Amino acid sequence: MLHKYYSLILVLLLAVFITACQEEEYSLPTAESGLQNDCIKRTLGPNMVGMNIEFAYAMALLPSEGKIVSAQVEATIAGATGTYLENKSYYTNSSGQDVGIAIGDASVTTGTKTVVTFTKDTCAATLRYYYRIPEEARGKSVDFIFSAKASNGQTVSYEMGSYNIAKMDMKLDLLAKDGAACYISITDMAVYDAAGAAANAAKIDLVYLHRLISGITFSHALVSPANTEYLPGITLPSGVSNSSKEIKAWNLRDQQLARLQYGIFIDDVDFQQIDFTNAPNYAINMKAESGLWVETTDGKYRAYIFVNKVDDTKKEMTLSIKRLQVK
Amino acid sequence: MLMKKIKYRNMKKYFIIPTVIIISILSWVGCTDFPIDEDGLLITTRAQCYVSNFELLGVDYQTVRTASAVIDTTAQTINVNVFYGTDLKNLWPQFSLVTDAKLDPKITSFTDFSDLANPKQWTVISGNRKVRKTYTVFVTVQQKP
Repeated sequence: MLHKYYSLILVLLLAVFITACQEEEYSLPTAESGLQNDCIKRTLGPNMVGMNIEFAYAMALLPSEGKIVSAQVEATIAGATGTYLENKSYYTNSSGQDVGIAIGDASVTTGTKTVVTFTKDTCAATLRYYYRIPEEARGKSVDFIFSAKASNGQTVSYEMGSYNIAKMDMKLDLLAKDGAACYISITDMAVYDAAGAAANAAKIDLVYLHRLISGITFSHALVSPANTEYLPGITLPSGVSNSSKEIKAWNLRDQQLARLQYGIFIDDVDFQQIDFTNAPNYAINMKAESGLWVETTDGKYRAYIFVNKVDDTKKEMTLSIKRLQVK
Repeated sequence: MLMKKIKYRNMKKYFIIPTVIIISILSWVGCTDFPIDEDGLLITTRAQCYVSNFELLGVDYQTVRTASAVIDTTAQTINVNVFYGTDLKNLWPQFSLVTDAKLDPKITSFTDFSDLANPKQWTVISGNRKVRKTYTVFVTVQQKP
Protein backbone atom coordinates (compact mmCIF):
# COMPACT_ATOMS: atom_id res chain seq x y z
CA MET A 1 0.00 0.00 0.00
CA LEU A 2 2.78 2.38 1.07
CA HIS A 3 4.80 1.45 -2.00
CA LYS A 4 1.82 2.41 -4.15
CA TYR A 5 1.75 5.93 -2.68
CA TYR A 6 5.52 6.35 -3.09
CA SER A 7 5.23 5.47 -6.75
CA LEU A 8 2.42 7.94 -7.25
CA ILE A 9 4.40 10.74 -5.60
CA LEU A 10 7.44 9.88 -7.71
CA VAL A 11 5.43 10.06 -10.92
CA LEU A 12 3.97 13.42 -9.88
CA LEU A 13 7.42 14.80 -9.06
CA LEU A 14 8.77 13.67 -12.42
CA ALA A 15 5.85 15.36 -14.14
CA VAL A 16 6.65 18.61 -12.29
CA PHE A 17 10.33 18.43 -13.26
CA ILE A 18 9.55 17.77 -16.90
CA THR A 19 7.11 20.68 -17.01
CA ALA A 20 9.56 23.00 -15.26
CA CYS A 21 12.38 22.18 -17.64
CA GLN A 22 10.43 22.62 -20.84
CA GLU A 23 11.91 25.43 -22.86
CA GLU A 24 9.55 27.96 -24.27
CA GLU A 25 10.79 29.33 -27.52
CA TYR A 26 10.71 33.10 -27.92
CA SER A 27 8.97 34.49 -30.89
CA LEU A 28 8.75 38.09 -31.99
CA PRO A 29 5.38 39.56 -31.13
CA THR A 30 3.26 40.35 -34.13
CA ALA A 31 2.42 44.01 -34.50
CA GLU A 32 -1.27 44.77 -34.40
CA SER A 33 -2.87 46.17 -37.47
CA GLY A 34 -4.08 49.78 -37.44
CA LEU A 35 -2.90 52.98 -35.82
CA GLN A 36 -1.92 52.42 -32.16
CA ASN A 37 -1.06 54.88 -29.40
CA ASP A 38 0.05 55.03 -25.79
CA CYS A 39 0.94 57.76 -23.31
CA ILE A 40 2.76 58.18 -20.01
CA LYS A 41 3.13 61.13 -17.65
CA ARG A 42 6.79 61.80 -16.99
CA THR A 43 6.68 64.39 -14.23
CA LEU A 44 6.07 63.46 -10.62
CA GLY A 45 4.83 65.38 -7.64
CA PRO A 46 2.38 68.25 -7.23
CA ASN A 47 1.55 70.25 -10.36
CA MET A 48 2.20 73.91 -9.73
CA VAL A 49 1.41 77.04 -11.68
CA GLY A 50 4.35 78.05 -13.85
CA MET A 51 5.78 74.55 -13.94
CA ASN A 52 5.50 71.95 -16.70
CA ILE A 53 3.60 68.70 -16.78
CA GLU A 54 5.49 66.46 -19.17
CA PHE A 55 4.05 63.55 -21.15
CA ALA A 56 5.47 61.14 -23.71
CA TYR A 57 2.96 60.25 -26.41
CA ALA A 58 3.74 57.28 -28.64
CA MET A 59 1.95 56.44 -31.88
CA ALA A 60 2.61 53.86 -34.59
CA LEU A 61 1.12 51.87 -37.44
CA LEU A 62 2.52 49.20 -39.73
CA PRO A 63 4.67 50.71 -42.54
CA SER A 64 2.55 48.92 -45.10
CA GLU A 65 -0.58 50.66 -43.82
CA GLY A 66 0.58 54.25 -44.20
CA LYS A 67 2.36 56.99 -42.29
CA ILE A 68 1.54 59.37 -39.45
CA VAL A 69 0.20 62.71 -40.61
CA SER A 70 -0.27 64.67 -37.40
CA ALA A 71 -0.36 64.51 -33.61
CA GLN A 72 -2.46 66.69 -31.36
CA VAL A 73 -3.01 67.37 -27.67
CA GLU A 74 -6.08 69.08 -26.32
CA ALA A 75 -6.12 70.32 -22.74
CA THR A 76 -9.27 71.29 -20.85
CA ILE A 77 -7.56 74.55 -19.80
CA ALA A 78 -5.28 76.25 -22.33
CA GLY A 79 -1.63 76.02 -21.35
CA ALA A 80 0.46 79.10 -20.62
CA THR A 81 3.12 80.41 -22.98
CA GLY A 82 5.74 77.70 -23.21
CA THR A 83 3.29 74.87 -23.80
CA TYR A 84 4.41 72.77 -26.75
CA LEU A 85 4.45 69.36 -28.34
CA GLU A 86 7.92 68.26 -29.41
CA ASN A 87 8.48 67.90 -33.14
CA LYS A 88 11.27 65.45 -32.41
CA SER A 89 11.03 61.77 -31.73
CA TYR A 90 13.67 60.57 -29.29
CA TYR A 91 15.69 57.42 -29.00
CA THR A 92 18.34 56.56 -26.45
CA ASN A 93 21.83 56.00 -27.87
CA SER A 94 24.49 53.63 -26.55
CA SER A 95 25.76 56.31 -24.13
CA GLY A 96 22.32 56.64 -22.57
CA GLN A 97 21.72 60.02 -24.16
CA ASP A 98 18.35 60.91 -25.64
CA VAL A 99 18.79 61.84 -29.28
CA GLY A 100 16.02 63.73 -31.05
CA ILE A 101 15.09 63.33 -34.71
CA ALA A 102 12.80 65.96 -36.20
CA ILE A 103 9.69 64.42 -37.71
CA GLY A 104 7.72 67.53 -38.47
CA ASP A 105 7.24 71.24 -38.05
CA ALA A 106 7.33 72.94 -34.66
CA SER A 107 4.02 72.60 -32.86
CA VAL A 108 1.32 75.19 -33.23
CA THR A 109 -0.86 76.00 -30.23
CA THR A 110 -4.27 77.46 -30.81
CA GLY A 111 -6.35 77.88 -27.69
CA THR A 112 -6.45 74.55 -25.93
CA LYS A 113 -5.05 72.57 -28.87
CA THR A 114 -1.41 71.93 -29.72
CA VAL A 115 -0.67 70.27 -33.06
CA VAL A 116 2.43 68.90 -34.77
CA THR A 117 2.16 68.25 -38.50
CA PHE A 118 4.50 65.50 -39.65
CA THR A 119 6.77 66.22 -42.59
CA LYS A 120 8.86 63.04 -42.52
CA ASP A 121 7.65 59.71 -43.82
CA THR A 122 7.38 57.97 -40.49
CA CYS A 123 5.15 55.25 -39.16
CA ALA A 124 6.22 55.42 -35.48
CA ALA A 125 7.10 58.32 -33.20
CA THR A 126 7.13 59.26 -29.53
CA LEU A 127 6.58 62.95 -28.96
CA ARG A 128 6.93 64.75 -25.67
CA TYR A 129 4.35 67.24 -24.57
CA TYR A 130 5.09 70.04 -22.14
CA TYR A 131 2.08 71.69 -20.60
CA ARG A 132 3.00 74.95 -18.83
CA ILE A 133 0.45 75.29 -16.07
CA PRO A 134 -1.38 78.61 -16.39
CA GLU A 135 -2.57 80.81 -13.53
CA GLU A 136 -6.23 80.10 -14.33
CA ALA A 137 -5.69 76.41 -13.60
CA ARG A 138 -4.70 77.05 -9.96
CA GLY A 139 -6.75 74.83 -7.67
CA LYS A 140 -8.57 73.20 -10.60
CA SER A 141 -8.03 69.96 -12.46
CA VAL A 142 -6.84 69.52 -16.03
CA ASP A 143 -7.48 66.68 -18.50
CA PHE A 144 -5.75 65.94 -21.76
CA ILE A 145 -6.73 64.13 -24.94
CA PHE A 146 -3.81 63.01 -27.08
CA SER A 147 -4.64 62.02 -30.64
CA ALA A 148 -2.88 61.04 -33.84
CA LYS A 149 -3.94 60.84 -37.47
CA ALA A 150 -2.56 58.50 -40.15
CA SER A 151 -2.41 58.89 -43.93
CA ASN A 152 -4.91 56.04 -44.33
CA GLY A 153 -7.50 58.12 -42.51
CA GLN A 154 -7.30 56.27 -39.23
CA THR A 155 -7.31 58.25 -35.98
CA VAL A 156 -6.60 57.23 -32.40
CA SER A 157 -6.83 59.07 -29.11
CA TYR A 158 -5.73 58.61 -25.54
CA GLU A 159 -7.16 60.37 -22.49
CA MET A 160 -4.91 61.42 -19.61
CA GLY A 161 -5.99 62.93 -16.31
CA SER A 162 -7.55 64.39 -14.36
CA TYR A 163 -4.59 66.15 -12.79
CA ASN A 164 -5.12 68.48 -9.85
CA ILE A 165 -3.25 71.74 -9.98
CA ALA A 166 -1.92 72.79 -6.58
CA LYS A 167 -2.84 76.11 -5.04
CA MET A 168 0.62 76.70 -3.62
CA ASP A 169 3.42 78.77 -5.09
CA MET A 170 7.10 78.08 -5.30
CA LYS A 171 10.21 80.21 -5.50
CA LEU A 172 13.65 78.69 -5.93
CA ASP A 173 17.16 79.67 -4.92
CA LEU A 174 16.70 82.94 -3.08
CA LEU A 175 19.96 84.19 -1.66
CA ALA A 176 20.00 85.65 1.83
CA LYS A 177 23.15 87.36 3.03
CA ASP A 178 23.92 88.32 6.60
CA GLY A 179 24.05 92.09 7.02
CA ALA A 180 22.79 92.74 3.47
CA ALA A 181 19.79 91.10 1.82
CA CYS A 182 18.69 89.30 4.97
CA TYR A 183 15.01 90.23 5.37
CA ILE A 184 12.75 87.47 4.10
CA SER A 185 9.15 88.03 3.12
CA ILE A 186 6.87 85.00 2.85
CA THR A 187 4.10 87.21 1.47
CA ASP A 188 6.27 88.34 -1.44
CA MET A 189 8.48 85.24 -1.48
CA ALA A 190 11.43 87.59 -1.73
CA VAL A 191 14.54 88.66 0.16
CA TYR A 192 15.05 92.35 0.86
CA ASP A 193 17.92 94.46 2.09
CA ALA A 194 17.40 97.02 4.88
CA ALA A 195 15.97 99.66 2.55
CA GLY A 196 13.61 97.17 0.92
CA ALA A 197 12.60 95.84 4.33
CA ALA A 198 11.78 99.34 5.55
CA ALA A 199 9.60 99.86 2.50
CA ASN A 200 7.85 96.51 3.02
CA ALA A 201 8.00 96.36 6.82
CA ALA A 202 4.65 94.63 7.29
CA LYS A 203 5.67 91.84 4.93
CA ILE A 204 8.98 90.92 6.57
CA ASP A 205 8.56 87.59 8.34
CA LEU A 206 12.09 86.39 8.97
CA VAL A 207 15.59 87.72 9.39
CA TYR A 208 18.56 85.67 8.26
CA LEU A 209 21.76 85.94 10.27
CA HIS A 210 24.93 83.99 10.83
CA ARG A 211 26.81 84.21 14.11
CA LEU A 212 29.74 82.34 15.56
CA ILE A 213 29.41 82.66 19.33
CA SER A 214 31.84 80.72 21.47
CA GLY A 215 30.26 78.29 23.90
CA ILE A 216 27.01 77.91 21.99
CA THR A 217 25.88 76.71 18.58
CA PHE A 218 24.15 79.54 16.76
CA SER A 219 25.45 79.42 13.18
CA HIS A 220 22.81 80.12 10.49
CA ALA A 221 19.49 81.33 11.81
CA LEU A 222 16.07 82.40 10.58
CA VAL A 223 14.45 84.47 13.28
CA SER A 224 11.22 86.44 13.49
CA PRO A 225 11.87 90.18 13.81
CA ALA A 226 9.86 90.19 17.07
CA ASN A 227 12.34 87.91 18.84
CA THR A 228 15.33 90.14 19.48
CA GLU A 229 16.89 87.59 21.86
CA TYR A 230 18.03 85.65 18.81
CA LEU A 231 18.96 88.68 16.72
CA PRO A 232 22.26 89.71 18.30
CA GLY A 233 23.85 92.74 16.66
CA ILE A 234 20.86 93.34 14.38
CA THR A 235 19.21 96.73 14.19
CA LEU A 236 15.87 96.20 12.54
CA PRO A 237 14.60 98.68 9.97
CA SER A 238 11.74 100.79 11.19
CA GLY A 239 8.41 98.97 11.37
CA VAL A 240 9.84 95.47 10.97
CA SER A 241 8.33 93.58 13.90
CA ASN A 242 6.40 90.51 12.73
CA SER A 243 6.34 87.37 14.82
CA SER A 244 5.99 84.40 12.51
CA LYS A 245 5.75 80.88 13.90
CA GLU A 246 8.45 78.41 12.96
CA ILE A 247 8.88 74.64 13.10
CA LYS A 248 12.23 73.14 12.22
CA ALA A 249 12.36 70.07 10.01
CA TRP A 250 15.03 67.61 9.06
CA ASN A 251 15.07 64.90 6.38
CA LEU A 252 12.26 66.68 4.56
CA ARG A 253 14.00 67.30 1.27
CA ASP A 254 11.16 68.17 -1.06
CA GLN A 255 12.15 67.06 -4.52
CA GLN A 256 10.93 70.24 -6.21
CA LEU A 257 12.72 72.51 -3.76
CA ALA A 258 15.88 70.48 -3.24
CA ARG A 259 16.13 68.98 -6.72
CA LEU A 260 17.94 66.07 -5.12
CA GLN A 261 17.32 62.35 -5.43
CA TYR A 262 14.71 62.14 -2.69
CA GLY A 263 11.16 61.37 -3.76
CA ILE A 264 9.46 63.56 -1.17
CA PHE A 265 6.88 66.13 -2.21
CA ILE A 266 5.17 68.77 -0.10
CA ASP A 267 1.64 69.43 -1.29
CA ASP A 268 -1.24 71.77 -0.36
CA VAL A 269 -2.59 69.31 2.18
CA ASP A 270 0.66 69.36 4.19
CA PHE A 271 0.29 73.08 4.78
CA GLN A 272 -3.32 72.65 5.79
CA GLN A 273 -2.57 69.90 8.29
CA ILE A 274 0.49 71.23 10.09
CA ASP A 275 -0.18 72.47 13.61
CA PHE A 276 1.61 75.67 14.63
CA THR A 277 0.19 75.72 18.16
CA ASN A 278 3.04 76.32 20.62
CA ALA A 279 5.51 76.84 17.79
CA PRO A 280 8.37 79.24 18.58
CA ASN A 281 9.25 82.29 16.51
CA TYR A 282 12.90 81.53 15.89
CA ALA A 283 15.12 78.82 14.44
CA ILE A 284 18.84 78.82 15.01
CA ASN A 285 21.57 76.40 13.95
CA MET A 286 19.99 75.79 10.54
CA LYS A 287 22.00 73.45 8.35
CA ALA A 288 22.11 72.75 4.63
CA GLU A 289 19.27 70.42 3.57
CA SER A 290 17.27 71.27 6.66
CA GLY A 291 13.87 72.92 6.45
CA LEU A 292 11.56 75.28 8.23
CA TRP A 293 7.76 75.45 8.33
CA VAL A 294 6.61 79.02 8.73
CA GLU A 295 3.27 80.65 9.43
CA THR A 296 3.03 84.39 8.97
CA THR A 297 1.93 86.60 11.86
CA ASP A 298 -1.55 87.13 10.42
CA GLY A 299 -1.89 83.40 9.66
CA LYS A 300 -2.53 84.21 6.01
CA TYR A 301 0.36 82.22 4.59
CA ARG A 302 2.08 79.00 5.47
CA ALA A 303 5.38 78.14 3.88
CA TYR A 304 8.09 75.56 3.83
CA ILE A 305 11.60 76.91 3.45
CA PHE A 306 14.23 74.46 2.30
CA VAL A 307 17.86 75.38 2.91
CA ASN A 308 19.65 74.45 -0.30
CA LYS A 309 23.05 75.70 0.71
CA VAL A 310 24.84 77.57 3.48
CA ASP A 311 28.19 79.30 3.30
CA ASP A 312 29.90 79.96 6.64
CA THR A 313 32.59 82.18 5.11
CA LYS A 314 30.32 84.38 3.04
CA LYS A 315 27.57 84.19 5.70
CA GLU A 316 25.02 83.27 3.08
CA MET A 317 22.06 80.95 2.80
CA THR A 318 20.42 79.77 -0.43
CA LEU A 319 16.82 78.88 0.21
CA SER A 320 13.78 77.75 -1.75
CA ILE A 321 10.18 78.30 -0.70
CA LYS A 322 6.83 76.61 -1.19
CA ARG A 323 3.96 78.69 0.08
CA LEU A 324 0.22 78.34 0.43
CA GLN A 325 -2.32 81.00 1.22
CA VAL A 326 -4.50 79.48 3.92
CA LYS A 327 -6.69 82.46 4.80
CA MET B 1 2.12 -10.84 6.40
CA LEU B 2 5.47 -10.48 8.18
CA MET B 3 6.53 -7.63 5.84
CA LYS B 4 3.30 -5.76 6.62
CA LYS B 5 4.01 -6.07 10.34
CA ILE B 6 7.53 -4.70 9.90
CA LYS B 7 6.22 -1.77 7.84
CA TYR B 8 3.64 -0.98 10.47
CA ARG B 9 6.31 -1.04 13.18
CA ASN B 10 8.54 1.33 11.18
CA MET B 11 5.65 3.67 10.53
CA LYS B 12 4.87 3.66 14.24
CA LYS B 13 8.50 4.32 15.07
CA TYR B 14 9.15 7.15 12.62
CA PHE B 15 5.81 8.82 12.22
CA ILE B 16 3.15 8.15 14.84
CA ILE B 17 5.33 8.47 17.96
CA PRO B 18 7.01 11.80 16.97
CA THR B 19 3.63 13.20 15.89
CA VAL B 20 2.06 12.35 19.21
CA ILE B 21 5.00 13.93 21.06
CA ILE B 22 4.81 17.16 19.00
CA ILE B 23 1.05 17.46 19.45
CA SER B 24 1.45 16.93 23.20
CA ILE B 25 4.11 19.68 23.42
CA LEU B 26 1.99 22.08 21.39
CA SER B 27 -1.07 21.41 23.54
CA TRP B 28 0.92 21.99 26.70
CA VAL B 29 2.42 25.25 25.40
CA GLY B 30 -0.98 26.39 24.14
CA CYS B 31 -2.60 25.85 27.49
CA THR B 32 0.08 27.54 29.62
CA ASP B 33 -1.28 30.82 30.94
CA PHE B 34 1.21 33.73 30.68
CA PRO B 35 -0.09 36.70 32.64
CA ILE B 36 -0.40 40.02 30.81
CA ASP B 37 -0.98 43.49 32.18
CA GLU B 38 -3.60 46.12 31.24
CA ASP B 39 -1.51 47.15 28.22
CA GLY B 40 -1.38 43.61 26.91
CA LEU B 41 2.29 43.34 27.86
CA LEU B 42 3.77 40.21 29.34
CA ILE B 43 4.29 40.21 33.11
CA THR B 44 7.57 38.49 33.76
CA THR B 45 9.60 37.59 36.84
CA ARG B 46 12.08 40.47 36.44
CA ALA B 47 12.22 42.88 39.37
CA GLN B 48 14.87 45.24 37.92
CA CYS B 49 13.57 48.76 37.52
CA TYR B 50 15.77 51.48 36.05
CA VAL B 51 16.40 53.82 33.13
CA SER B 52 19.43 52.79 31.09
CA ASN B 53 19.50 55.64 28.58
CA PHE B 54 17.75 58.93 27.93
CA GLU B 55 17.34 60.94 24.75
CA LEU B 56 15.66 64.27 24.09
CA LEU B 57 14.60 65.19 20.55
CA GLY B 58 13.51 68.50 19.07
CA VAL B 59 10.64 69.01 16.60
CA ASP B 60 12.98 68.03 13.79
CA TYR B 61 13.60 64.72 15.59
CA GLN B 62 17.24 65.62 16.09
CA THR B 63 18.87 65.47 19.49
CA VAL B 64 18.96 68.67 21.52
CA ARG B 65 21.42 67.33 24.10
CA THR B 66 24.83 68.95 24.36
CA ALA B 67 26.16 65.77 26.00
CA SER B 68 24.88 62.41 27.22
CA ALA B 69 22.21 62.64 29.89
CA VAL B 70 23.41 61.87 33.42
CA ILE B 71 21.21 59.14 34.89
CA ASP B 72 21.37 58.52 38.62
CA THR B 73 19.53 55.28 39.28
CA THR B 74 19.89 55.67 43.05
CA ALA B 75 18.60 59.22 43.30
CA GLN B 76 16.25 58.45 40.40
CA THR B 77 17.16 61.58 38.50
CA ILE B 78 18.08 62.39 34.92
CA ASN B 79 20.06 65.55 34.23
CA VAL B 80 20.25 66.72 30.66
CA ASN B 81 21.75 69.87 29.22
CA VAL B 82 20.28 71.16 25.96
CA PHE B 83 21.56 73.55 23.30
CA TYR B 84 21.07 77.28 23.56
CA GLY B 85 17.92 78.16 21.66
CA THR B 86 16.19 74.82 22.19
CA ASP B 87 12.41 75.12 22.03
CA LEU B 88 11.58 73.66 25.44
CA LYS B 89 7.85 73.53 24.73
CA ASN B 90 8.20 70.87 22.08
CA LEU B 91 10.57 68.12 23.14
CA TRP B 92 10.19 64.39 22.72
CA PRO B 93 11.81 62.40 25.53
CA GLN B 94 12.88 58.84 24.86
CA PHE B 95 13.65 56.43 27.70
CA SER B 96 15.55 53.18 27.36
CA LEU B 97 14.48 50.86 30.17
CA VAL B 98 15.72 47.61 31.63
CA THR B 99 14.26 44.49 29.97
CA ASP B 100 10.51 43.98 30.46
CA ALA B 101 10.03 47.30 32.30
CA LYS B 102 7.56 49.92 31.14
CA LEU B 103 6.97 53.64 31.58
CA ASP B 104 4.10 55.55 33.12
CA PRO B 105 2.72 57.85 31.81
CA LYS B 106 3.28 56.79 28.23
CA ILE B 107 4.93 59.30 25.90
CA THR B 108 2.76 59.80 22.85
CA SER B 109 3.60 63.33 21.70
CA PHE B 110 5.89 66.27 22.25
CA THR B 111 6.18 67.32 25.89
CA ASP B 112 6.46 70.79 27.35
CA PHE B 113 9.62 71.12 29.44
CA SER B 114 9.52 74.92 29.61
CA ASP B 115 8.57 75.04 33.31
CA LEU B 116 12.08 74.40 34.55
CA ALA B 117 11.05 74.96 38.20
CA ASN B 118 8.68 71.99 38.02
CA PRO B 119 10.61 69.20 36.36
CA LYS B 120 8.73 66.41 34.63
CA GLN B 121 8.49 62.97 36.20
CA TRP B 122 8.01 59.48 34.80
CA THR B 123 7.64 56.21 36.67
CA VAL B 124 9.44 53.06 35.61
CA ILE B 125 7.56 49.83 36.38
CA SER B 126 9.49 46.57 36.61
CA GLY B 127 8.81 43.47 34.52
CA ASN B 128 6.96 41.78 37.39
CA ARG B 129 4.92 44.99 37.79
CA LYS B 130 5.74 45.06 41.53
CA VAL B 131 8.50 47.69 41.64
CA ARG B 132 7.83 51.31 40.71
CA LYS B 133 10.51 53.99 40.60
CA THR B 134 9.77 57.61 39.76
CA TYR B 135 12.48 59.45 37.81
CA THR B 136 12.70 63.23 37.69
CA VAL B 137 14.06 64.82 34.50
CA PHE B 138 16.01 68.03 35.11
CA VAL B 139 16.63 70.07 31.96
CA THR B 140 19.20 72.85 31.85
CA VAL B 141 19.80 75.12 28.88
CA GLN B 142 23.23 76.00 27.57
CA GLN B 143 23.82 79.65 28.39
CA LYS B 144 25.18 82.33 26.11
CA PRO B 145 28.55 83.52 27.49
